[in-house]
Amino acid sequence: MTVVLQQAINGVVLGSLYVLVALGLTLIYGVLVQINFAHADIVTLGAFAAYFFTHGLGGGYIPSIAVAFLVGGALGWLMNAAVFAPLQSRSELLPLIATIGVSVLLENAMLAAFGPIPYAFESPYSNEVIRFGGTFITLQNVLIIAVSVLTIVLLYAFMKFTFLGKALRAVAQDRETAGLMGINPNQLVMLTFVIASALAGMAGAMLGPVLVLNPFAGTSVIVKAFAIVIIGGFGNVEGTILAGLLVGLIESFTTQYLGPGLIDIVVFALLLLMLAIRPTGLIAEKREENV
Amino acid sequence: MFSRRVGYLCAIAAIWALPLFFTDTYWRTNLIVCALNVMLAIGLDFVLGYAGQLNLGQSAFYGLGAYVSTLLIMRLGVPFWIAFVAAVAFSSLAGILLSLFAMRLRGHYLAIASLGFAVITYQILLNWISLTQGPLGIYAIPPPPAVTLPWLPKIDFHDLGNLFYLVAGFALLSYFLLDQLVRSPIGATLTAIREDEVSASSLGINCAAWKVFAFGVGSGIAGAAGCFYAGFVGTLVPDAFFVTESFTILAMVVVGGMGTLIGPVAGAVLLTVLPEFLRGLGDWRLMVYGAALTAVVLFMPGGIVQAAQLVRRRLPAGETRK
Amino acid sequence: MNAPAATAERSRAGAAPVILRAEGLSKSFGGVHALRDVSLTVRKREIFAVIGPNGAGKSTLLNLLSGIYPADAGVMVFDGTPLTGFTAHQRVRHGIARTFQKIRLFKHLSALNNVVAGFHIHCDLPAWQYLVHGPAFRRHDERCREQAAELLAFMGLAQRAHVMAGSLAYGEQRMLEIARSLATGPRLIMIDEPAAGLNAAEVDALLDRIERLRGKGLTVLVVEHNMDLVMNVADRVLVLDSGRFVFEGTPAEVQVHPAVIEAYLGGDVR
Repeated sequence: MTVVLQQAINGVVLGSLYVLVALGLTLIYGVLVQINFAHADIVTLGAFAAYFFTHGLGGGYIPSIAVAFLVGGALGWLMNAAVFAPLQSRSELLPLIATIGVSVLLENAMLAAFGPIPYAFESPYSNEVIRFGGTFITLQNVLIIAVSVLTIVLLYAFMKFTFLGKALRAVAQDRETAGLMGINPNQLVMLTFVIASALAGMAGAMLGPVLVLNPFAGTSVIVKAFAIVIIGGFGNVEGTILAGLLVGLIESFTTQYLGPGLIDIVVFALLLLMLAIRPTGLIAEKREENV
Repeated sequence: MFSRRVGYLCAIAAIWALPLFFTDTYWRTNLIVCALNVMLAIGLDFVLGYAGQLNLGQSAFYGLGAYVSTLLIMRLGVPFWIAFVAAVAFSSLAGILLSLFAMRLRGHYLAIASLGFAVITYQILLNWISLTQGPLGIYAIPPPPAVTLPWLPKIDFHDLGNLFYLVAGFALLSYFLLDQLVRSPIGATLTAIREDEVSASSLGINCAAWKVFAFGVGSGIAGAAGCFYAGFVGTLVPDAFFVTESFTILAMVVVGGMGTLIGPVAGAVLLTVLPEFLRGLGDWRLMVYGAALTAVVLFMPGGIVQAAQLVRRRLPAGETRK
Repeated sequence: MNAPAATAERSRAGAAPVILRAEGLSKSFGGVHALRDVSLTVRKREIFAVIGPNGAGKSTLLNLLSGIYPADAGVMVFDGTPLTGFTAHQRVRHGIARTFQKIRLFKHLSALNNVVAGFHIHCDLPAWQYLVHGPAFRRHDERCREQAAELLAFMGLAQRAHVMAGSLAYGEQRMLEIARSLATGPRLIMIDEPAAGLNAAEVDALLDRIERLRGKGLTVLVVEHNMDLVMNVADRVLVLDSGRFVFEGTPAEVQVHPAVIEAYLGGDVR
């Protein structure tokens, strides 16, 4: 029983990080109806930024999370300005292919700069534990959950209650009309990108100690992020949160009972299953194409 | 058409001449890799450039072709060419199944589903140790068996020059078959599907069936390449078929010119050879794939073919007639 | 099997045979009823118009008839063949063609190649000839181009055969869409709001073509907003409002029918 509880805690921890990553993807999809394949590489870069801040510059761990947040945001700004904004009215596939290009570019740049050998990113909080009953939780995990929950709540409140948040949702629903109502869609798209990428960077800083930190760390994360976004429904914030936690739990229980090698297979098999049954996700409604 | 026949003759001549010109192992190896990449690229282009389906699973079909043929040859003693046919059939079938599965999925969903397929295949190759020996790999894979034609000396495929002729020959054959398909009503049908599926349906085109067909052909060619790859490289490890391979092939197709056949050939050759010239840059040379892909999409979506057409229009002689 | 037999009786009695019959068609989208219990009967070589105010469900009806969406309820019978379960492309092979309200041409192909695309379903080459282009292939290709040119000429686009479809004027694009649909060799062609965006001269040309189509043996179903077109050309008219059947009859009958006038909110139906 304690094992189950332990894995459940690990699952929630992982899940909340995945939620941060997936939220970014889903927000971008919501306003642009595009997927940013390079999203997970921002996570990796955020992790590296935090690593070098702590291990290279000797900075504190918590500030490094803020650093990663900023680095992520900057990258998001750059990516939108350089890639998405110019490619907007073109075909459906070209922006996607462009982001694949950016992703490959970033990964190989990191490979050249940092080498293929994984970095040991140690957080000072990883070794401090709080015990209760037969289970324990590291301070690192508490930190992760605290930061993630806080961020998610803030983001949710932002989307639901502030003017900017509502404007974002307006742009997501109908870009042209939103534009006609005095909202500048381009600026909002940029804002969305920056927020989404900042979240990704921040998640990277917290994932760093957990993941195998090498330039290709993004690939394993993007797999799960896609699964989450599809299960939760593209553009659906509530669905993404639920799905993220679900995937986190699945991962921790799979690791416990089936071994770590099978995680990707299980998650992706689930993804493919979702695509087969309900491509629009667990919660989203079906929309028929307007002919 | 006159110019088409000339083109093929030039290609045959070039293929014949290249190993005579490049006699060292290093460059002959590169030539073979070029030929393999050409097959992978035109296979993907048939699905992506003509049928408009963003298939990120090409690395999986490549790997399936390699592993199926190798296991048949090494474990069951199946003769090479029979294993070859089996590998092509298996990859083709996998492509058909993926396509059927993804039938209702559009654009990004298909991309993700095919990516998922590529990841799962890789993980299976990596983790099913009893079958594939996982990361340790399979060793001592022989090249295709030597061929004895009546009036020629024995053609041994340990010789890289001969192996190049074989692979390049198949690449040219694949190109020819695809070229014929593309210039037939089938090509126009696929283009219609790519442009607008609803519109194509309103013309009586069975979009689902043709997408499956395109996938079957594209993945079958990848399977053939995989079979040659195994015999060429001698040692088979799953890492050769990591998902990034799919992205590399995608880069070749897009940089060369999506939706044309000669484009991916140019893209494959360029992106195979260019990193070799950039060896001075160390690991930074690998950035050429991502940089080229992104730059092309942003500035010249038609790739090398589009660039060539622009150059041709600037020249005083000749008019390009569609 | 009573209903078809009865209809056959009625049609033999005086009017032309029925080519398309639909009964009880219904369709909702996420709780919104786009079409409720709509029935219609179209006879061979008739010009049949479907009219109604905005949101009446005209396009939905067309989408159900052409098979783009499955109907929630109801049956459709085309020339004796029930269409239930037939996908869009299968219906085309049976002889039902359609055009779209929002023009859906292949913008990067020439006008000629757009029309040629419509001939492909009748391509009867043996499979191997796709891989090795023999004489039958070349003959087929030539024939397609000739027939495509004829269709373009019929729709008044002979001069524009080699222009990219995306570069054509709006009115020309509409005509091209019709030409392309005709290439599939239909017996019934359903045209969705063809007069939208056309000037008076173009509308006249359109009406002329529609009449000539009847002369060629086709049946035409037109969804239209433009009352002039409907009243001058149509043999029979179906009026829809808010997804429901209002009336089906001749144009003269429609003009004076009280429910129809009310459906258009008391505005005059000239």
